[in-house]
Amino acid sequence: MSSQFKYVGKPLPRLDAYDKVAGTAVYAADLDVPDAWEAGVLRSPVAAGRLRKIDRDPSFDWSQVCVVTAADIPGVNAVHMIRDDYIAIVEEKIDFVSQALALVAAPDKKTLAAALAALKPDIEPVEPALTIEDSLAVKNKVWGEDNVMDDFAVNRGDVEQGFREADVIIENTYRTGLQEHIYLENCGMIAWPTADGVRVAGSLQCPHYVHNALAMALALDTKNIQVQQTTTGGAFGGKEDYPSVMAVWTALLARKCGKPVKLLYDRGEDMLVTPKRHPSKIHHKIGMKRDGTITAAEVDLYIDGGACTSMSKVVLARAVLHCTGAYKVPNAKLRARAMATNTPPNGAFRGFGAPQAIYAIERQMDFAAMKLGMDPYTIRLKNVLHRGDSFPFGQVLEDGASAEIVLRDVVERSNFVEKWRQCMEQPAGRIRKGIGLSLCMHGGGFTGSGEDTMGTTVDVELCPDGRVEVLSGSTEMGQGTDTMLPMYVAEVLGLPLERVSHPLPDTTRAPNSGPTAASRTAMFVGRACVDAGENLIKMMKEFIAEKRGVIPDGYADGVFSKDGKPVSTMDEAAALWFAEPGRGRLVARGMVHPDDRYKWDEVKFHGTAYKGYSWLAQVLEIEVDLDTYEIHPIKSTVSTEVGRAINPIQVEGQMAGGVLQSYGMGYLEEMTVTPEGKFSAHQLNAYLIPTTLDTPEFSVRIFEDPSPFGAFGAKGLGELACDGGAPAVASAVDNAAGVHAVEAPLTGEKLFNLLEAKAAGTNAEGKA
Amino acid sequence: MKIELTVNGEKRTVQAEPLSRLLDILRDGLSLHGCKEGCGEGECGACSVIMNGQLVNACMVPAMQAAGADILTVEGLGTKESPDALQMAFIDEGAVHCGFCTPGMILAARDLLEKNPAPDRDDIRLALSGNLCRCTGYERIYAAVGKAVRDGYNARRSIAKADAQPVYEGDERDKYFSPKTLDEALAILGKYPDILILSGNTDIGTELKSGKRVPECALDIFSIPELKQIRRDGDVIRIGASVTNTQIMESGLIREKLPALHQASSMCAAPAIRNRATVGGNFCTASGAADLPGALFALGAEAVVQSASGRRTMTAPEFIKAYRKPNLEPGELLVELVVPIPPETARQQFYKRGSRAALTLSRVSLALYVEVENGVITTCRAAAGSMSPTPIRLPKLEATLTGRRLDAALVDEAVATVRAELSPRKSAQYRKALSGNLVRRFLEGVLEETGAAVS
Repeated sequence: MSSQFKYVGKPLPRLDAYDKVAGTAVYAADLDVPDAWEAGVLRSPVAAGRLRKIDRDPSFDWSQVCVVTAADIPGVNAVHMIRDDYIAIVEEKIDFVSQALALVAAPDKKTLAAALAALKPDIEPVEPALTIEDSLAVKNKVWGEDNVMDDFAVNRGDVEQGFREADVIIENTYRTGLQEHIYLENCGMIAWPTADGVRVAGSLQCPHYVHNALAMALALDTKNIQVQQTTTGGAFGGKEDYPSVMAVWTALLARKCGKPVKLLYDRGEDMLVTPKRHPSKIHHKIGMKRDGTITAAEVDLYIDGGACTSMSKVVLARAVLHCTGAYKVPNAKLRARAMATNTPPNGAFRGFGAPQAIYAIERQMDFAAMKLGMDPYTIRLKNVLHRGDSFPFGQVLEDGASAEIVLRDVVERSNFVEKWRQCMEQPAGRIRKGIGLSLCMHGGGFTGSGEDTMGTTVDVELCPDGRVEVLSGSTEMGQGTDTMLPMYVAEVLGLPLERVSHPLPDTTRAPNSGPTAASRTAMFVGRACVDAGENLIKMMKEFIAEKRGVIPDGYADGVFSKDGKPVSTMDEAAALWFAEPGRGRLVARGMVHPDDRYKWDEVKFHGTAYKGYSWLAQVLEIEVDLDTYEIHPIKSTVSTEVGRAINPIQVEGQMAGGVLQSYGMGYLEEMTVTPEGKFSAHQLNAYLIPTTLDTPEFSVRIFEDPSPFGAFGAKGLGELACDGGAPAVASAVDNAAGVHAVEAPLTGEKLFNLLEAKAAGTNAEGKA
Repeated sequence: MKIELTVNGEKRTVQAEPLSRLLDILRDGLSLHGCKEGCGEGECGACSVIMNGQLVNACMVPAMQAAGADILTVEGLGTKESPDALQMAFIDEGAVHCGFCTPGMILAARDLLEKNPAPDRDDIRLALSGNLCRCTGYERIYAAVGKAVRDGYNARRSIAKADAQPVYEGDERDKYFSPKTLDEALAILGKYPDILILSGNTDIGTELKSGKRVPECALDIFSIPELKQIRRDGDVIRIGASVTNTQIMESGLIREKLPALHQASSMCAAPAIRNRATVGGNFCTASGAADLPGALFALGAEAVVQSASGRRTMTAPEFIKAYRKPNLEPGELLVELVVPIPPETARQQFYKRGSRAALTLSRVSLALYVEVENGVITTCRAAAGSMSPTPIRLPKLEATLTGRRLDAALVDEAVATVRAELSPRKSAQYRKALSGNLVRRFLEGVLEETGAAVS
């Protein structure tokens, strides 16, 4: 990919890679914390109930440990998130298995274990509501009166009329399951007591979320709180909200015992207590003309939020806004509800509601194609959104409407249609080949006016030693932030990339650039970087004008000029700056300035939901072994339009990784809730993510249609990668085995059940 | 306990608890933080290091077994300022994202390149199949290994494995033992009949982690030479109890004569686990989930146990009395499996259906063995794993097939028989159906192969 830029668009080695290959990158567990105490959590064994009291075994010497209960919380007993309904420590009402009843810190792990065993909670259990159905029936009141945490609706046109105009109706109910992030590094947090506050460091996505949570629960002045990110070994959304919980716990303990306190989960604890992808149940009805044109869609979508809001409200918003996919739907009636259940709160997971929604609409398109005797490509092509078309929530696509481009490209490169036909006609045999297709889009950045009101801020500092630091609260967790943000700044300042770095965020230095979430970093935080770089140039122009009496009118490659003649280099100007007493740090601030041309009506759920959509079409070729009911992904062809690929080699890897994660969701990764309300797996041998041998060969092609809203034209891509793989697996199985899944993951046993039902003649397809 | 070992070419002496983990020695004792803990159960590969020239999960190696070992960690390759060519290839090819799997991944690649300087894509996929990456989809990692190969990466080195023993201190001397010969081991076992016997530690290590097992003392038999041999002895093949899956996989004798066992070992977990997990351990764990016992049941193996006072021989199924109950009297050790060399007329196959393609427990495993003369099955042994508390022989299936002419009707009958014979507790219909399908596949294959001889 050629580029008109010096850095942007070039496949550059990552700046953080050197430490990582050498083993010298410092993750939370690598921090050397002398005298640290070990923290542990006394957790609820029941999914619902009432905590009467916690007895302390008198034979245990309690003077050697520190115990924190709800009564010890100086501020609000809640971990600040969207709503403050995530209770930090149970006072009375227990809402999920693993909920914190008390916290303990001890000088060593052995004493900690003994102390935890010597705490005896006295609990009166009640019957829990563990599923969306339980929740709707209010089997137990988990949240409010009816367990509905959020309820959104989108309406357009006349859906009844739309269905009357249809020649066929496709109506199905889809389910997707829990998905666990399995970031390779487990969650970990360390807290140090300070004179008037606390310092915490850990594996996290959003340092300022943690900062705010500490301020609220510990009733601390924000200036007495310091949050530092340690090198983070993957997150995928899983370290968006949960680190705030761990920080509040460790900070409470550290403040009480006066020692540094560390809470480092092992894999078992991490899997049992941290948030998962929301399970969904989606009733999806679409009407179509005989030629495949969509006339109407009616969707009733539920997500299982677990016991409190956490991220559910915004996950739900994204789900409902993505539930008609990349297609024109003239009449729509969409409703989405987040239900509370007595399970650990579900949270952010790459895609954030979109993968569930896209699963349903993409399956609908396959079922519709079957019903109309079309192929999966033609029916999609018939309905894709183009420039000037609008979503059901009213947003008109003005730029970067690339659904057709990526769809056509992926079909052409994979020879989809011909292979699809060949597979349909393949002779009987044990190994069945299949090819599947899916198309998806992802809105970059926060939903609605989120990006306009966020106040995204970045500082760029030119240090006396010549280094340039990009200071932001955006985190590197594997996706490339620590290379990309410096690339932006190096590009703007025209200085060598080697001089620019993005240090791990520390809230005492880094301004709040918003959470590292919602595929927003390249697009929006990048804009603040560019703004900061430009402001630095402007500031130095003024400084030069003041010092030299010449107002530079140009700047390129680190040199200020006037009428084409060099006036000063950036470094010379900086030297002058630092030589002057009282000038202080040479730092410029950048922001994302609100853009009020585009409106989002939060009440009506109408308007510009996202500033830029990125697009992805994929073709997955598989083999199905009818003896063993195994699905083997063989080849994945991915075509995607991402605005601008800031670092193409990074984009390619991130795409393949995200797509693979969604294949995991599609057929491999199964987690359920036991009748007791526990997650079914707490070991990596019971929750299986793809190994090399489960991974298809990837061929990724990137298209660019620069967005006017993103830095250098970037749009979000991290989550896009994860949105469409699950339905692609099911689509390929349609083609390979002639059985049609309505549920993800399509495990071997579920595939077997579908094949048995087909043999018995009871296989349900989209019903008329 | 004090042990000496060579880490990244340097002699080191460390103080450690005998059952602490090599992972802890490296991370806490030697501050080599490149060795990462992702699961502590051998399921992710983040702590992969090369020990005595073999890839291992450092979380699965007890300290007492690391005495004298030569260890290569990622810190032994290159530094941040001066990465070696393999590390550089990972950087250049964009194979590093969150970085947590990276050191282990690099060492798994290094281990491959030490043994095979010119691997193809499939070799690379196999070699890295025990190292999970959640970021990259693996494609950039293959590209990195490919680049190192093209750049002529030199993975040759000398291995400084010493014959050192742990130096036990104080009352450890009466608790932990690292004998060098079988006789010594049996003498210790005679004296301490309840002692934990450690071999590859891939099962026991997970129980030590979970606290399910809190042993007071341990006897290491992993490196005893008499227990590490595969050899032909007249009409039989003798496989020592401490023979690893890797040894089985690499044995030409086994590949030729006992392909079902070769298949079972090849499908076990992933390379780092195969380098440690032993056939004796797989038997002594006495769990239905084990793969090798099933294969050896079908191959008609016998188990030999020995104590200071003598030897006993029993059939392999007799050795696994019940779930977690090996047939061992106090003071006895499983020393070898003895497998008759099958005649030319034999056909054998091991099947495994895990939940994914590598690093997975069997949901169904099936080992099938028949001898066919003139179209008639003269001998049949069949065994199933993971569908009952212990691996089991399938007497009804065997009876159905033995002495019968192999034809399409018999295949149908065998399929129905095995489905009726198995009674898995969970997912019964699925696993019964699957097992039947595999019996069909095997017998149809045999029929096709031997059909010509009949007509």
